[in-house]
Amino acid sequence: MPTNPTLTATSLRAASMRPLQSCLLALVVAATTGCGATPPAWFRSNMVEATKQKLTPDQERQVATVLLAMFGTPDDPVAPPETGLDVAKLQLAAGPVRSDIVGRKNGLYREHCAHCHGVTGDALGPTAAFLNPYPRDYRPGVFKFKSTERADKPTHADLVRILENGIPGTSMPSFALLSETQVDALVEYVKYLSIRGETEINLMRAFFELDDEAEGKLPETREFLVGEVLEPVAEKWKAAADALIPVPEIPADLDLEASIAKGRELFYGDKANCVKCHGPTGLGDGQANDYDDWNKSIVEWKKELGGADDASWLSRAKQVLTGDALEPRTIPPRNLRMGIYRGGRRPIDIYYRVHAGINGAPMPAAKGTISPEDIWHIVNYVRSLPYTLDGELGADRPALVRDRF
Amino acid sequence: MATSAESSAAAPVNWPAVVAWTLLATTAVLLSFGALVTTYDAAMAVPDWPGTFGHNMLLFPFAEWFWGPWDLFLEHGHRLLGATVGMLTLLLAAIVFSGRSSPTLRWLVAAAVVLVVVQGALGGLRVILDDKTVAKVHACTGPLFFAVATAIASIASRRGRGADRAADRPSHDPAREVAAPPPPSWALGAAVPTVLLVAAYLQLVAGAQLRHADATLAPTTFRWMVILHLLGAAAVTVLAALAVVAWQPHEPPAARRWSRVILALVVCQSLLGAGAWVFTWGAPAWIQEAWPVAEAIRARSPRGAMVVTAHVLVGMAILGSAVAMALEWGGMERLERLVGAAPRGRSAPPRAAAGAVGRVA
Ligand code: HEC
Ligand code: HEC
Repeated sequence: MPTNPTLTATSLRAASMRPLQSCLLALVVAATTGCGATPPAWFRSNMVEATKQKLTPDQERQVATVLLAMFGTPDDPVAPPETGLDVAKLQLAAGPVRSDIVGRKNGLYREHCAHCHGVTGDALGPTAAFLNPYPRDYRPGVFKFKSTERADKPTHADLVRILENGIPGTSMPSFALLSETQVDALVEYVKYLSIRGETEINLMRAFFELDDEAEGKLPETREFLVGEVLEPVAEKWKAAADALIPVPEIPADLDLEASIAKGRELFYGDKANCVKCHGPTGLGDGQANDYDDWNKSIVEWKKELGGADDASWLSRAKQVLTGDALEPRTIPPRNLRMGIYRGGRRPIDIYYRVHAGINGAPMPAAKGTISPEDIWHIVNYVRSLPYTLDGELGADRPALVRDRF
Repeated sequence: MATSAESSAAAPVNWPAVVAWTLLATTAVLLSFGALVTTYDAAMAVPDWPGTFGHNMLLFPFAEWFWGPWDLFLEHGHRLLGATVGMLTLLLAAIVFSGRSSPTLRWLVAAAVVLVVVQGALGGLRVILDDKTVAKVHACTGPLFFAVATAIASIASRRGRGADRAADRPSHDPAREVAAPPPPSWALGAAVPTVLLVAAYLQLVAGAQLRHADATLAPTTFRWMVILHLLGAAAVTVLAALAVVAWQPHEPPAARRWSRVILALVVCQSLLGAGAWVFTWGAPAWIQEAWPVAEAIRARSPRGAMVVTAHVLVGMAILGSAVAMALEWGGMERLERLVGAAPRGRSAPPRAAAGAVGRVA
């Protein structure tokens, strides 16, 4: 620091401005205490899961050590070969924000995502508390908007779409202005964080199944750590591309009015029972007090805590609930008359939503109970809702734009 | 300011004022670049300092900078402007300390020199250490320098009519020069300009903490920071409104003008703040219910970047205006008293001390 404290002290009196004083004082303090380089970034442990599983500090350390060896740090990611992740892409997205010698930006995740999704992908970034819905916590490996069956992972292309379009009606922005390479790297990094997070949860749950001989220690064999913990997660991501929802062609001679009428019937009918949640008017005013999986797990854990008798564990759990979790929020069923589709507004997007439901959310899958043709009818009805007032089609509905779309 | 009849006759150029205004204008551009550097997260576009990619900063090839990547354009531009402002400040110091400037002006220019050096060093440290804490301090010192530069420009302009001390005064009203302006009767009213000035600065400090928030900061802490920033905004708005409405009778005319400017800026600033919120987090649910938008906000859209950056710059403008108002509303006298009261020989520059003695007499 070039500031000479005595010089500063003198000029303080001179300038006689209080803000000046305090700021210069702060400088002197910074100069004397010394401000070192930024410490390297760390992944935060999944404290909610660790506390639920009643892990000892030593067990928490075991998990952290395994994860460090498998996945590295936020500044220096490692891609376990079983995951098939491309480490070059990860490096572009990881680390602090900086440009390399050719002016290419590195640290994309911390530049664009971490303030909402958190460095760890735990949805505990600084701005998270303000957002409704909360940002996605990648660690359970559950994603809502995808072209695959409900229980499957999203494809790479699904995540790219999410980044390009954002999630309308939520705070998740569109990153259409980033280059393809950048979006690609970010998607790779989301997968990395998700695989890491799910591996962490698996490791923490594995303690529960240990027999007494293990003495509370996880086996340090490759067979266990990779074969039993990591690979099942990685395989699910690799299998996503083969889990696409089959979509039947829309018949060329489809009578749209008739289709919408049929869809309406199904919407109110017992089998699909969309009214139960989305309400008789489609305004989303049906059953509206349910949570999505992320929030529900906290709600349920809070309920469980009521019956706990271990006082020291209970106080730790309460601490974790305030520091590592946000106040649970309900997810109201969508108001279908607003014309805002979070997962995309192409007819096929809505087909996916109705077919598979919304993974992680109360919205159920119609698959199995409703035939693919009927799902198309429902889709057509849903898409007509924003343009009508009472569920009946008006003669002047501005359908042309979206028909062309 | 220097166009009154008496000064036009042999009007010598008021060099301190010319340089001070040039400094203020350059500082405004410098701050714009600084704000954009933060908006685009471009601080680490250049890995080294004081050099730029190993070059002497000033000799870095123009074309490579000007036509280079946007981040490099911003960061290196910010550095070049910073160097310019530094040199202008030194030039101003040379002029002020070699001429017949008032002690107040000298002290302010001395403070500006210290600040500009510190600020440059902080900018360098921010890059060398890649440290967000330094970035936050750097973002707090910037407006401080701007406030001092505003005060300098305002006071230097008053020297247009010669070196007599009456001209140092804010008011050009001869009647007021004879008798010192009566202190505002309402004690609270007298504190308004100072409180407003401090509040405007603290808002910039709070804003800087939000913009530079570390990604590991806890959501609950961040929420409190936002709430404080909003409370601060309410406080500034109320103060500005009171300055315009309630305290008008107590205000010197020039201060009255400034209080109106501040209120107008504060209204703009609230709109920009709301805009910054929407461009960062999207519109809150209750707005979306009433006014559905089928597309998500675009991260890094030029429009969004403009709104967010403008929010910072209008904040600076409010601070600058608050300085100007405070000087018109008793602040000038307070500054003079402070400088005059400074223990002689220890802290006051020699000429300034002489001036102070002359004044007391
Ligand atoms: C302003 C806050 C914000 C920022 C910045 C942000 N997101 Fe999100 N993101 C959200 C929110 C909120 C959701 C959850 C929406 C929902 O549940 O419907 C979300 C959801 C997601 C999802 C889950 C989609 C799904 O199908 O479940 C992914 C993936 C994602 N974000 C990736 C990213 C990436 C990558 C970045 C950075 C390039 C990013 N986000 C930046 C707020 C943000
Ligand atoms: C158990 C309650 C429930 C039922 C039954 C239900 N939904 Fe939903 N639906 C939801 C919830 C909750 C959401 C919002 C989920 C979210 O955003 O995470 C939703 C969202 C949607 C969306 C918005 C998708 C998007 O991209 O934004 C559509 C369309 C939809 N539902 C259609 C239907 C249809 C058609 C049916 C009947 C086949 C149906 N829903 C049945 C609860 C339900």
